[in-house]
Amino acid sequence: MEQLVLAVLTLISLVLTVQAAHALYLMIYTWDQPEADAKARVPDQRATPELSFTAILPARHEEEVIQATIARAASADYPPHLVQILVVCSADDVGTIEQARAQVSALRAVGRSNVDVVVFDDGPINKPHGLNTALRHATSDVVSIFDAEDEVQPELFDIVNTIMLSDDVSVVQAGVQLMNFDSNWYSTFNVLEYFFWFRSRLHYHAKNGAITLGGNTVFFKKDLIERLGGWDETNLTEDADIGLRVSSMGEKVRVVYDDRYVTKEETPPTLQSFIKQRTRWCQGFMQTLGKGTWKLMPNRRQRFLAWYTLAFPHVQAMLGFYLPVAMLSAFVLSVPVPVAMLSWLPVLLLGAHFVMSVVGLYEFTGAHGLKAGPGTVVKMALTWFPYQMVLSYAAGRALYRQLKGATNWEKTAHVGAHRTEAPELTNVG
Amino acid sequence: MSADVLTRPGKKPSPRSVKVSPKAPKLLIAVSLLIGLVSHGWNMFRYPLYLTDEGIYMEQAWSVLKEAKLSPYTYFYDHAPMGWLALAGWVGILPGGFQAFGNAINTGRALMLIVHLASVFLMFETVRRFTASKPAAFLAVFVFNLSPLGVYYQRQVLLDNLMMFWILLGLYMLARRDGRIVTAMGAGACFGLALVTKENALFLLPGCAYLLHKTIREQSNRRFGLSFWWFALLAPVTAYLLFAQIKNELFPEGLHFSPDNNQLKGHVSLLNTIWWQLHRNSNSSTGLSFTYLLQQSWLFKDRYILIGGVAATVLTLISGRRNKRLRTPMLACALMALGYAFYLSRSALLDFYIAPMVPLFALNLGMFFGWLTRRTNQGGAAVLVACLLVPVLVMPGGFLVKYNARGQLEFSDAYRLPLTQLQEQQVAWIKANIPTNARLIIDDDIWVALHDSNPPYKNAHPHYKATSDPDVRDKVFHSSWENVDYVVMSNKMRDALQRGGETWIIEAIDQHGQTVWQATRGDVSLSIVKIGNTS
Repeated sequence: MEQLVLAVLTLISLVLTVQAAHALYLMIYTWDQPEADAKARVPDQRATPELSFTAILPARHEEEVIQATIARAASADYPPHLVQILVVCSADDVGTIEQARAQVSALRAVGRSNVDVVVFDDGPINKPHGLNTALRHATSDVVSIFDAEDEVQPELFDIVNTIMLSDDVSVVQAGVQLMNFDSNWYSTFNVLEYFFWFRSRLHYHAKNGAITLGGNTVFFKKDLIERLGGWDETNLTEDADIGLRVSSMGEKVRVVYDDRYVTKEETPPTLQSFIKQRTRWCQGFMQTLGKGTWKLMPNRRQRFLAWYTLAFPHVQAMLGFYLPVAMLSAFVLSVPVPVAMLSWLPVLLLGAHFVMSVVGLYEFTGAHGLKAGPGTVVKMALTWFPYQMVLSYAAGRALYRQLKGATNWEKTAHVGAHRTEAPELTNVG
Repeated sequence: MSADVLTRPGKKPSPRSVKVSPKAPKLLIAVSLLIGLVSHGWNMFRYPLYLTDEGIYMEQAWSVLKEAKLSPYTYFYDHAPMGWLALAGWVGILPGGFQAFGNAINTGRALMLIVHLASVFLMFETVRRFTASKPAAFLAVFVFNLSPLGVYYQRQVLLDNLMMFWILLGLYMLARRDGRIVTAMGAGACFGLALVTKENALFLLPGCAYLLHKTIREQSNRRFGLSFWWFALLAPVTAYLLFAQIKNELFPEGLHFSPDNNQLKGHVSLLNTIWWQLHRNSNSSTGLSFTYLLQQSWLFKDRYILIGGVAATVLTLISGRRNKRLRTPMLACALMALGYAFYLSRSALLDFYIAPMVPLFALNLGMFFGWLTRRTNQGGAAVLVACLLVPVLVMPGGFLVKYNARGQLEFSDAYRLPLTQLQEQQVAWIKANIPTNARLIIDDDIWVALHDSNPPYKNAHPHYKATSDPDVRDKVFHSSWENVDYVVMSNKMRDALQRGGETWIIEAIDQHGQTVWQATRGDVSLSIVKIGNTS
């Protein structure tokens, strides 16, 4: 029996070590590969605007932020006749519809007629259904998605126009970045997760043809999204799902992350909303895994990468049990020296993760003109383990909901903590 | 990967990225490897004499493979174990095990040859990439290959040689300048492995760290590169400390540190051993002084590398300051040589501690030559290299030939003398004449030969353990001649017994011993002394 326990311990240590080493590498992929880093950058030279864009803004109970988001999207640095903005709301969300229509009226008053509010009264009331509804009203070459709380960069359409024309790609994922790294105890790691995900990891996925796209600041050629049949309305992470469906068609995806042109967002304001958001993501990955989209990938490498990414929430849920047990066993379990040394390897990689996070913090704040002090690093040291536990709890909660069959959308609240001042509306038409 | 593509847009490319070809000159490297193969491989199993320390590392590798322990005796953290773990790994993959090349030390020496050849490649590429000069790289490895001091010590199974391999590998990674984090991390890991192979690598840290910091200072990923260089460096060191802690041997019992490790109460302690080693000096009984060894051994073996190396190091230190491209690597190489020289001048030494200075001097020689000929074309520099090397090759008393006592020209001892045959004869005599249950005091050079045989000589123990290890001293020999059957004397073992204060063994030999076998060649003398009335 003791031999069996030791064998299991050794096996878990080895698997965790390999997994963690791989995950860590993906976190620094673009920093490590200068070519990938160069490819991730926004081109310095811009093409003449040719492609037209439809920006879809799905909104639900976003009364507080929707007007500023519309104003920002409308003030994009791109010829207005090539831009269509569609705010999409469920008919029961009277408050948001009212605010959006007021902003549309204000824009029309200054000569901007390219903004509309699309209202649907059928179900399900969720983001993918809203996207599919808006898609039917879209008239442009390219469809893009922004969330209601997004601070959209004015040059994005210009950038994507250049990339799509020069690289011959049908999908572009631009960077999304949480900004409020010092708001609360979990915001630093949450911000860094986004930072590493969009700045590095997604580029690896794009290169290897198995990418789970983000939920916003993503651009599709309209004909591609129509061929795909739109978004999966039963999926909690329709973005990840459609990314893998795009990949399975062999379509290239270009990911760009340039600190100057990221879409700025905020961390969920409360721990409860953070857990709900994370639960939805984990459950969405579980749904997508079960759906088997990853099996449609052309080659084994792509299939493995997609499976590995989608299956991670399961691992994270289990880590929630394993980590405390492992820490406890370090004090109470007496194991042979080689086994103890081997089980030290995952701990070493946890240390590497922490070092990476601290360096990432300074990279992030340096790139965005923010300042992180030693106090933040101390806070990170203290909150690292609780944060991992929260992530594991959310993954466990997602697993529980998935097994129970609860697939309703738990919406995240937005308060606009990341916002800079909304642009003043002027007659640019 | 071309260095050019690594340059970020908007940044001025460094002069180096323009001049250095990423492709290694295959022919020159092949010639250098061939020279190294011949100079280090020819006669390497017969010369020099098997050293006590070679035996120690091989017996510890034997213990790793046969007993799953780091030493057949109490491991007291005198050295970190990476060196003999590598040896054990090498032996583990050989079909013949310890006997693959005749005996254990030969098998270890075969690895040293491979390590040397790998080091030749690494040094060549490091110097070439730093200086952009193939003649400078060739000069460095030529001296590294043929220096008699290098040939003498780098053939031996020494931790110093493995340590320098890791250092050179780390330097080579930095010299690649490919801009990658994993390369910086790999270089850090190499340095960490050097530290847990032999802790003396610490004295090379300032030079290496300086090189790293300067090399990646302008890279956009410098924060990650620096952090993970240090992280990877510390990982093996932490593992070593953790190993000691798991065995409850990190701190001395009750936190009572003792300046004499042999007087430590309770269990052994890694930190106490370090403390003890830091307080050792050349006045202690465990080593010799720098000046003594310089005059009595090193200058006698190879004065050219020592004088030339010191001069090259000083010139490297002062001459590259105004050259933007060469300043950093030159200063780093000089700092490494100076750091290690500082250690040698302060510590209690053994003869072979000079070994790392050979590649360090060769590096500095190559770097200085690269600087000196920075405006010379490659052909001119090659002629200059030939002018420098031909004299030391053909001159009697140089790298290759010497006059013998009869005034005849002959190859140097390293390529000619069959010294280890004496030790093989000694082992053969023991196996033919001494029963396997006899209690033997030996030197470590024949330990594996006696223990890895069938049946083994289980009661054959090194003299140092017979004096200092309680498990051997108090449980086998009880510090009494009556419990010893034979003392097998290696060359100059008597000096070691005297230096180590192992008086009871000397008395056993002098008062109760009878020499039953002896072999002498030149100033090398081995013997076997029968003690008391053993049948």
